[in-house]
Amino acid sequence: MESFVFGISILTIVKGFLVFAFLIYTIFAGVIIKQVRLMGDTFKIGFEKNLNFLAIIHLIFAAGVLLLSIIVL
Amino acid sequence: MPDIYISGEEVEKKPRKKKKTKKETKKKDSESPTPTSFKNPLLSYYYMPQNVEFETKDAKEKIYLVLRRHPVTNLKWALIALFMVFAPIFLSVFPILTFLPASYQFIVILGWYLITTAFVLENFLSWYFNVDIVTDERIIDIEFYNLVYKQVSDAKIDRIQDITYKTSGALRSLLGYGDVLIQTAGEVPNFEFLGVPNPEKVVEVIQKERLEEEREKLEGRVR
Repeated sequence: MESFVFGISILTIVKGFLVFAFLIYTIFAGVIIKQVRLMGDTFKIGFEKNLNFLAIIHLIFAAGVLLLSIIVL
Repeated sequence: MPDIYISGEEVEKKPRKKKKTKKETKKKDSESPTPTSFKNPLLSYYYMPQNVEFETKDAKEKIYLVLRRHPVTNLKWALIALFMVFAPIFLSVFPILTFLPASYQFIVILGWYLITTAFVLENFLSWYFNVDIVTDERIIDIEFYNLVYKQVSDAKIDRIQDITYKTSGALRSLLGYGDVLIQTAGEVPNFEFLGVPNPEKVVEVIQKERLEEEREKLEGRVR
């Protein structure tokens, strides 16, 4: 049996919280890409492209989870 | 027989090149350390690396050492990350999310793995980009305290006053890593190369450069 708080379903509140959290995390993943580039400009040793690629994959993963949370929940 | 032509200039006799014996060649190779091969960018100790650049590098500056913390210093966070990866398996034993529908549980687990990825990435970047560099002119310490705070300190080699290195503890002694503490007369009085491999070789390289700097000063070749 579903519970309600101020007329809003608990599951809706949980969904809202999760989507908000994943949105903040996706922005954080974007900041990580910027920081990896800055770090790479400070010190270059030949592995920076791989790290940039990892950071981009991380952002795609975060965006994917955000999208999934909006669709599935 | 009389000489047909005698040159006015004395012909300088070129000294014959002495062929090195195998023993002499081997001895020379073992005395001077060879530059570290650059195929692996994840090493903690590079001697005379090629194709390394950093922000404040001078065009003529030669890099002698690039140092990071020994890989074993990452063990702590690596074990935590491993635990985080396998933690959702414990949900079958401790069902703390059963009050949520299956789709919510799935999304929460995905979120947990996102946090795990961020934890691993941040720790790896911190280890990878926190480096100490020794060039023919300076020592440089690049520190990224977190993703938004970086500090780059450097000191001229001729301003180094005191160098101490220590290898304390069983693991450090076994794996050959330790701390190099450098006191300078500069604005940043202390440089610490913490957890670096082969600290005795690091000190040897810096001492060699200090002597070279003193020689340059005496000969007036200061850059």
